[in-house]
Amino acid sequence: MHIMEGFLPVDHAIGWSLASAPFVAWGVHAVRRQLQAQPEQRMLLGVAAAFAFVLSALKLPSVTGSCSHPTGVGLGALLFGPLAMVPVGFVVLLFQALLLAHGGLTTLGANVFSMAIVGPFVAAGLFRLGRRFGLSLAVCVFAAACLGDLATYLTTAIQLAWAFPDPAGGFAASLLKFGGIFAITQIPLAISEGLLTVLVVNTLTRFNAEELQGLPLFVVNGGRA
Amino acid sequence: MLIEQAAYANRWRGVSSAAKATFALAGLLAAFAAVSPGAALRLALCSAVLTCVGAGVPAGLYLRVAVPAVGFLALSCLGLLVAVDLDGGWRWAPEAWPQVAALAGRSLAALAALLGLVLTTPLSDLIALLRRLRCPAVLLDLMVLCYRMLFVFSQAVHDVRTAQQARLGDATLRHSLRSLGQLTANLALQVWQRAQALHLAALARNGDGSLRFLTPQFAHAGRDTALAVLAGGGLLALARWAS
Repeated sequence: MHIMEGFLPVDHAIGWSLASAPFVAWGVHAVRRQLQAQPEQRMLLGVAAAFAFVLSALKLPSVTGSCSHPTGVGLGALLFGPLAMVPVGFVVLLFQALLLAHGGLTTLGANVFSMAIVGPFVAAGLFRLGRRFGLSLAVCVFAAACLGDLATYLTTAIQLAWAFPDPAGGFAASLLKFGGIFAITQIPLAISEGLLTVLVVNTLTRFNAEELQGLPLFVVNGGRA
Repeated sequence: MLIEQAAYANRWRGVSSAAKATFALAGLLAAFAAVSPGAALRLALCSAVLTCVGAGVPAGLYLRVAVPAVGFLALSCLGLLVAVDLDGGWRWAPEAWPQVAALAGRSLAALAALLGLVLTTPLSDLIALLRRLRCPAVLLDLMVLCYRMLFVFSQAVHDVRTAQQARLGDATLRHSLRSLGQLTANLALQVWQRAQALHLAALARNGDGSLRFLTPQFAHAGRDTALAVLAGGGLLALARWAS
């Protein structure tokens, strides 16, 4: 859920950019250290960014009959880790603004915060938590992708409610409004994306378990998922 | 991608990317500095006309790129014209109209400034400009690789979707979701395979560091930038001019 170019007031646009900047810097620093240890990861992250960009252009069938685009937030966080997803997400969102006019440069900070920071960290955190409690891989993947998606939309709703509080009801009424609008469209989409991510991980574990062995999130109790 | 088509085939292709970025930046600043919705709309119109007439971007293509964003803006503005009570009721909020008008004008002006940049400047030129501006090398490498690989993946998606549709892969909702899952999983596998192939190809050429390419040279970069600064100043003046 991108906020379009020029939509946020200038103080909010600057504020969200400043809020995202430390995470982007942290992600870049972490990726740089990772590349020093494993230079072969350079190509992997670049190709992963292209994968995320193309994934965001696919049409996702929704259970309500409409269709939209997967965010790839949960899948990216599970495959590459939430920290690596910050610079990858930054590049993908920048490219979406420059190649598709989807999102914008002044709203890049706000979009990075919701889609490249909150979503991936929530998804990865829920996945780890679920695996620690011994839930099955499919349940954990579904919860991570679905709730990571919803966390992204909730963050966007908060950003918009904060920027445009209701004249009478203030922030709370505005959050109720934006949350309600998103809930109608995005809950079915989040469920669809959760199901899609389970299908993807099932296919990966069935046909290419070797690739998953290198992914830290799939390590469970000393064994592999 | 429509934006890429225009970016490589317009009259400002040879104009310095720094100049075009300066002008776009002035357009974005002017959008936020506009004194009224009318002033913001004049800015949007001015930027759109310059892009279509000055740079020779076809008006039809411009509209096809702009319409989804404008439609999204219209829906968003509609949402802002609705007020919700905490007990769950809702009503129209005509008192929000001035705020919505200012917001719509600002967004249109900012969108026009962004389109003026992206429809006249290929992404490879913008990446080269970011390199000159000392953007971190890690991000630049990600951008370079992403830009090159996204076309490869787009082709792969097209081929797989064609094969799936030819086999009734979208016949039902369940089939659609399954087809999309298989397509995504297949693409995810290609991430490792293609990354490994690229890494081997780079190693074979002793490439183990940052990815560097020749940067574009612009014959009249100084003149272009001076003109862009003047034109950007004009946009800012237009934004502050309340008629």
